[in-house]
Amino acid sequence: MPIPLREFGKTGVTISALGLGGHHLGGAKDEKTAIEIVHRALDGGITFYDNAWEYYRGKTESWLGLGLKGRRDEAFIMTKVCTHGRDASLAMQMLEQSLRRLQTDHLDLWQVHGVVFQNDPDLFIRPGGAAEALLKAKQQGKVRFVGFTGHKDPDVHLAMLDTGFPFDSVQMPLNAFDATYCMSFEQKVLPVLNHRGIAPLGMKPISGHGDPVQMGVLTAREALRYAMSLPVACTISGAEELHIIEQNLEIAQNFEPMTPAEMQALRDRCRQYAADGRFEMYKTSLKFDNPEARLVHDYPLDTAQAEVKDMIKEADNTGHAWPQV
Amino acid sequence: MNDNNPKIGPEISRRGFLKGAAIAGVSAVIPAEQIATAVETRNESALGGFQAQKRPLGPTGLECSILGMGGFHLGAVADQAEVNNMVAKAIDHGINIFDNAWEFHRGLSEEKLGNALKGKRDNLIVMSAVCTHGPKEVAMRMLDASLTRLQTDHLDVWQIHEVIYRNDPELIYAHDSVLEALTRAKQQGKVRFVGFNGHKHPAILLEMLKRGYAFDVVQMPLNPLDPGFRSFENDVLPVVNRRGIAVLGMKSMGGSGETISKGAFTPTEALSYAMSLPVSSTISGIDSMEVLDQNLAILRDFKPLSADQMQALRDHGKHFNDGRYELYKSTLKYDSDLGRSQHGYPSAAELPL
Repeated sequence: MPIPLREFGKTGVTISALGLGGHHLGGAKDEKTAIEIVHRALDGGITFYDNAWEYYRGKTESWLGLGLKGRRDEAFIMTKVCTHGRDASLAMQMLEQSLRRLQTDHLDLWQVHGVVFQNDPDLFIRPGGAAEALLKAKQQGKVRFVGFTGHKDPDVHLAMLDTGFPFDSVQMPLNAFDATYCMSFEQKVLPVLNHRGIAPLGMKPISGHGDPVQMGVLTAREALRYAMSLPVACTISGAEELHIIEQNLEIAQNFEPMTPAEMQALRDRCRQYAADGRFEMYKTSLKFDNPEARLVHDYPLDTAQAEVKDMIKEADNTGHAWPQV
Repeated sequence: MNDNNPKIGPEISRRGFLKGAAIAGVSAVIPAEQIATAVETRNESALGGFQAQKRPLGPTGLECSILGMGGFHLGAVADQAEVNNMVAKAIDHGINIFDNAWEFHRGLSEEKLGNALKGKRDNLIVMSAVCTHGPKEVAMRMLDASLTRLQTDHLDVWQIHEVIYRNDPELIYAHDSVLEALTRAKQQGKVRFVGFNGHKHPAILLEMLKRGYAFDVVQMPLNPLDPGFRSFENDVLPVVNRRGIAVLGMKSMGGSGETISKGAFTPTEALSYAMSLPVSSTISGIDSMEVLDQNLAILRDFKPLSADQMQALRDHGKHFNDGRYELYKSTLKYDSDLGRSQHGYPSAAELPL
């Protein structure tokens, strides 16, 4: 069975209900494996491809570009711009680099990456900020649609929406743990997007790194089915290895939405584990705060702090801003 | 769970923060003369004979000093004689509210305070906090232990400690849970007033309030960084004020003096900000005579900040609005392992941090 297609907001465009995450693709053991994962995703019916300018210093965009070569028209390509508050002119330079790496003349979706800090909405909408680049790129036909992403705090997402900028999509963590936590995107942001007709894109359906699956709280199938059963346009899940994309394809191809009662039962099962935020460290620690973004904001990297050590390790980062465009 | 033998005590590293004012890079946000007329004093004789200002403790009919002594830091002072001297000096200057919790330093905080208050307990507001969100009977046993350690037959305020998990309101309001212990302890005359504290997220405290129990006191982190990040001042303080519940501020300097030692604020700025909010008292962690003298000097010279001065401090605080000096909100660091284990959660050390 093919993966279900869904409306991308009010644009009239449809995308596959499961998308391929870009960060995990960069974690594949080599280029050949990454290309195979992309081919397998294409063959399996995935049309939505996630990426970001800064993932693995551009390697992931390049690998996705190689994987999609000759099959560009089968894909809805999204990548993210990583200004983290800096100027529109820098955003436009990043866009050119992303297009080159992805071997295409346009993106289907270009999103502002990692909107996580309290002042990010102000920095985005300020004169000369990234908002201007999003509009310009759209006018130039280099991108079809625009949006933003973030994993930290629903209130920051709502502040972005309050800027009044015409976003086509918004990406956020959506899973059975988020659902009952005090900073719940499902409760606070998803209804607003649905109401406004903005395409919601779910990420971290298995909580980012699959910890609760390893601990036996729920299965990958339950986690993915839950996320896909929400009123979203697409659920983005990453795969570093072929067997993971195979598993996710099988779940998506045989997808049947959970009933409201099934969803509630899973929320209830996860509630206890959700309450301390341990499976949502992107909200409850500094671990998933991008070091580059911190540096751009003039936030220090306290290298004595466990989260920051891990954060730096996670991003394979030197502790210095990199690379200049 | 063995109630009298917490498996793991709080493992929080608390740095001394007095030196903060002297380290490089500190710059006062507001010129000192606008806040305090004197430089921060370090010796007793220079403090003079001032008495702390008092405010009503919400609806309780009690009057409390606008600065209170925190129990965790006091329990970190090794020498009982030094604790006695510190508490005696604080009382001499009109400090009359003393916070504590059943779990602090595995009971030593309560014991040390109890010893220090011997013969002085009358007319003081002695607080402690109960460290379960579960069975009423467990809570009552903790209360009895607290009373014994504090050498008193009643507490003036008894709070539910560390309401920081998303499902705590549900657990606390459950049948036969700790909330019923609060009511019973009041009826028995073992405690006069009740409340709760929490450092994690405004939504959790709001849920506690929304469910309707008639709390007398709520304790929360309040400092000039808070308004910029998951803010208790913006989201919770007005609600509590409107309901006439007494507010106690805590973590005026970030919980372990982070904002001071990192040079974000001076001690005078941090304490003056907290004490200028619509709160009854600011519970301050004091772990040496030196810090006590510093805070008493700030208290002596304290005049409530103007709206402009408050805003200037908030604006400066926005430079640090990623939560790096409010680690109790932005990480799991300040969540006690005892509380974690009671909830069936792995300790912080076991988490992939």
